[in-house]
Amino acid sequence: MLKAMIGTVSLAAMLLATTAVVQAHTVIKIVHEETNPTEVALWKRIAADYEKLHPDVTVTYQYLENEAYKAKLPTMLQSSDRPDIIWSWGGGVMRAQIDAGYLRPLGAAAQAVVPNMIPADAAAYKVDGKYYGLPILHSEVCFFYNKELFAKAGVDANQIKTWSEFLAAVKKIKAAGITPITVGAGEKWPMHFYWAYLAMREGGARVIDEARAGKDGGFVAPAFVEAGQRLQELAALHPFQPGYVGTLALQAAGQFGDGRAAMQLMGNWLLNTQAGNAANGKGLPDSNIGIFGFPVVAGAPGKATDELGGVNGWLVTKTAPAAADDFLAFFFQPKYQQQAAVEGDYIPALAGTSAFIKDPIIRQIAISLEHATALQIFFDQALGPSVGRVVNDVSVAVAAGQMGAKAGAEAVQQAWEDEQ
Amino acid sequence: MGLVQQAARRDHGALVTALVFVPPAILLFTIFVILPLGQAAWFSLFKWNGLGWPHDFIGLRNYLRLWQSGSFRTAFGNNLLIILFSIVVQLPLGLGMALLLARRAWGAVAFRLIFFLPYVLADVAAGLIFRFVFDGNYGPVSSLIQAMGGSPLFMLASPSLAFTAIIIVVVWKYFGFHMMLYIAGLQGIDRQLYEAAEIDGANALQRFRSITLPQLAPMLKLSVFFSVIGALQLFDMVIPLTGGGPFEKTNTMVTFMYSFGITRMRVGYGSAVGVVLFLVCVIFALFYRRILMRDE
Amino acid sequence: MSDLSLNGRGASVVKWAKRSEAGAQRSRGTQARAFAVWRLAILIIVAGIVLLPLAATFLGGFKDLGELRTNPLGLPHVWLWRNYWNILASLRYWRVLGNSLLFASLTVVLTLALGATAAFAFAHLKFFGRRFLFNYLILGLMFPAAAAILPLFIRVRQLGLVDTPWGVILPQVAFGLAMGVLLMRNAFRQLPGELLDAAMVDGCGYMRYFVHVTLPLSRPILSTVGIIAFVGSWNNYLVPLIMLNSTSLYPWPLGLMDYQGEYSTAWQLVLAFITLTILPAILMFVLAQRYIVEGLTAGAVKG
Repeated sequence: MLKAMIGTVSLAAMLLATTAVVQAHTVIKIVHEETNPTEVALWKRIAADYEKLHPDVTVTYQYLENEAYKAKLPTMLQSSDRPDIIWSWGGGVMRAQIDAGYLRPLGAAAQAVVPNMIPADAAAYKVDGKYYGLPILHSEVCFFYNKELFAKAGVDANQIKTWSEFLAAVKKIKAAGITPITVGAGEKWPMHFYWAYLAMREGGARVIDEARAGKDGGFVAPAFVEAGQRLQELAALHPFQPGYVGTLALQAAGQFGDGRAAMQLMGNWLLNTQAGNAANGKGLPDSNIGIFGFPVVAGAPGKATDELGGVNGWLVTKTAPAAADDFLAFFFQPKYQQQAAVEGDYIPALAGTSAFIKDPIIRQIAISLEHATALQIFFDQALGPSVGRVVNDVSVAVAAGQMGAKAGAEAVQQAWEDEQ
Repeated sequence: MGLVQQAARRDHGALVTALVFVPPAILLFTIFVILPLGQAAWFSLFKWNGLGWPHDFIGLRNYLRLWQSGSFRTAFGNNLLIILFSIVVQLPLGLGMALLLARRAWGAVAFRLIFFLPYVLADVAAGLIFRFVFDGNYGPVSSLIQAMGGSPLFMLASPSLAFTAIIIVVVWKYFGFHMMLYIAGLQGIDRQLYEAAEIDGANALQRFRSITLPQLAPMLKLSVFFSVIGALQLFDMVIPLTGGGPFEKTNTMVTFMYSFGITRMRVGYGSAVGVVLFLVCVIFALFYRRILMRDE
Repeated sequence: MSDLSLNGRGASVVKWAKRSEAGAQRSRGTQARAFAVWRLAILIIVAGIVLLPLAATFLGGFKDLGELRTNPLGLPHVWLWRNYWNILASLRYWRVLGNSLLFASLTVVLTLALGATAAFAFAHLKFFGRRFLFNYLILGLMFPAAAAILPLFIRVRQLGLVDTPWGVILPQVAFGLAMGVLLMRNAFRQLPGELLDAAMVDGCGYMRYFVHVTLPLSRPILSTVGIIAFVGSWNNYLVPLIMLNSTSLYPWPLGLMDYQGEYSTAWQLVLAFITLTILPAILMFVLAQRYIVEGLTAGAVKG
């Protein structure tokens, strides 16, 4: 009897010991929606390097396609299989996640890296005095144009400064038999860039903050209604590619890369997506791509140096282990972020890395960002998941003539009020 | 053993067996079907994002919002339209094919299998296949139109054409199933009825109307039942094909629930849609029982 | 009238009657043949419309993107076998098929186990509340899973089953029980009652009878219910979509949409993936077509 007991106890002890060893192994689960192969390869290299230095930690990445990512994330954050680090655009969506209790502030290891970031970018991840994530990159939305097609239509991009000049250019391009603009309105958010920029031009860079505070009736303020009207002016010229309402963002990028349209209003990642999704796999060469900023509306307060863009980063979830903070600190070492700059993956938020950017166009954008008078985060992220979706829906509906400019603004205001 | 003792033992055995055989099914059914349905009604009275437990009681406001929502009214209307077109297009088509294929004529079995094949495929695969077929840039439909001299047709970018696309896919997928029902029904009709009618001088149309249709009545009713229940639950097919768009014009109730309730984590609102869907099914089931199944 | 003339006229009348009957038969024959031709033409046209999307998908997988536009319905100029081969050689493809097989098999086993036992009890045993419980279960035929999918997700999450196979399998079984129990109860009832009586007299218990007599004799209905449960699970999209987050657990419908999302600009690859994921269903259909068709119509008639 005693022997049996001793036997059982020692067996149990052995099992406990082995489970203890197994439990010491940490897994860091990271979820994202990045498709750029060189960027993903860099991230995997960072993970592999980290694992070599920390054999008891495994870092896994899970990729979800953009729309699926936004759709699945709420349920993922509620499940017991929560990821540890998530990709984020900051803004109201992040705030909603904090309010719901999904996230936690940075641990000491990650917190130590904050001073190395560009201050404006780091601030994007600060809520109520605490940092909940670290910024990876900042991006800007501007017009990318095909130099050859512009030359063919006889349009000089450097002359496009105002909205009316822009419309005139669109007309000229269309008259030359070229599709002026390609837009991935099927996913809706590419179209909201137009509405957002127009609102910023009509009402000044702080137009959203003022609307949130309730100025001039909130989102039915004249700035937003006029933004819709300007968008209708553009849509009346039929500038978009046929079937644009169903085109996905990557498909539109591919069309631009195929040289099937003259312009696209998009973030700087277009340089990568237009190459990867073009029919020939290469897209337009850098020498054939130019950029110009979103035009101003004559007489309205918005400045040409007010930029719409994003600060993407990693957020840390509530149940993430301390190793996650440690990994983040490792991730943001200068050598890796400089690598990203050199490869042209993105514009790193780590201070001092923009000097390493090789690609001239990205260089241009990085400089423009440094001189921006204001950087507004994408409306559909800044306003939170519910109102953001309405902004996207409204942008497409107004452009397609399905909804009036005023009705669109009212819909956004209604959605905003529902959230309060 | 005496008869009384045998009977007693039997009853005891029956009770024990029943206690072992019945509870697992009932339990699973209750936990995963009945309780969630009840909870749907309960959740629909709250504004809730799914975390923790509902605490923001808003009464019937979710239902009011549904009533006011143009998109939901469109979705509801779409379900009704799909039911209508299902019945009006699919059933005659299935019946026509059944009439052509009920007898064991040359190649009948092969054709039956071909027509039934779409039914075997998953709705989601059918939706995606036709998303390709109707694609304005790369799909065969648009390419054929261009070959005939037209400009590319972006069916899925126009609300009315996109809805037509959904009807086409529904018919393509299910007419074979209804055809099979009718073939089974047709094969069960007594030949002598036809012979007697022929002797009486009835022509083909009269025979069809007075013999075939009445004899097929049970199958037709079953067809209608399946069509309606299927149309009300349409989701898998719509998501890949149109995603409910463009402009939320091709939603069905379930895709609406997914877009507005699930992905935006508005559990109360989404549950209200579920309750409405449930009520529609119940009303239909009662109507079906009362009016269509009177003789059963 | 001489017999001769009557005979003559009569004969000609008969001859005329015979000739016109033959003529009628001939014209009915040509009518029948014309009908046969029309019938075949209609059938071929409809079959063509049915098969065209599938053929375009299959062939499209062999083309490159540009050719999809220029040559939508024809055979590929160059057969790009690598489109198909890359998918077949990928872990992703076999993983989603394996997941689907796992979910479907366990769904079938559980549905049959729980359903057959309950159906047997409803068919043969008299116990308190039998009628009520049976009608309670049959209510399930009325409800679409979609109506309760949100609370179902909450329930599955509370049970800690989100992102696990059981989170998909258990709801599928629960919703399939009503149909299964209905079909199986009716089938069990059709077995001769004397068998049960005889077995009772011999001292055989109900459970022994169920295992050794009912089940072996009920193979057709068990196959039918099994096939319905298998196909229902194999093709299910909504339930796994809600319950699963990890791509490693995705059954093939989710894997398909995932692939399409990732390669949205490369239709030719998506077409190849679609073809390869519906291939198992088509193969199963071809192999089992007789049983599927008979089982479905038989069940429908009885139901």
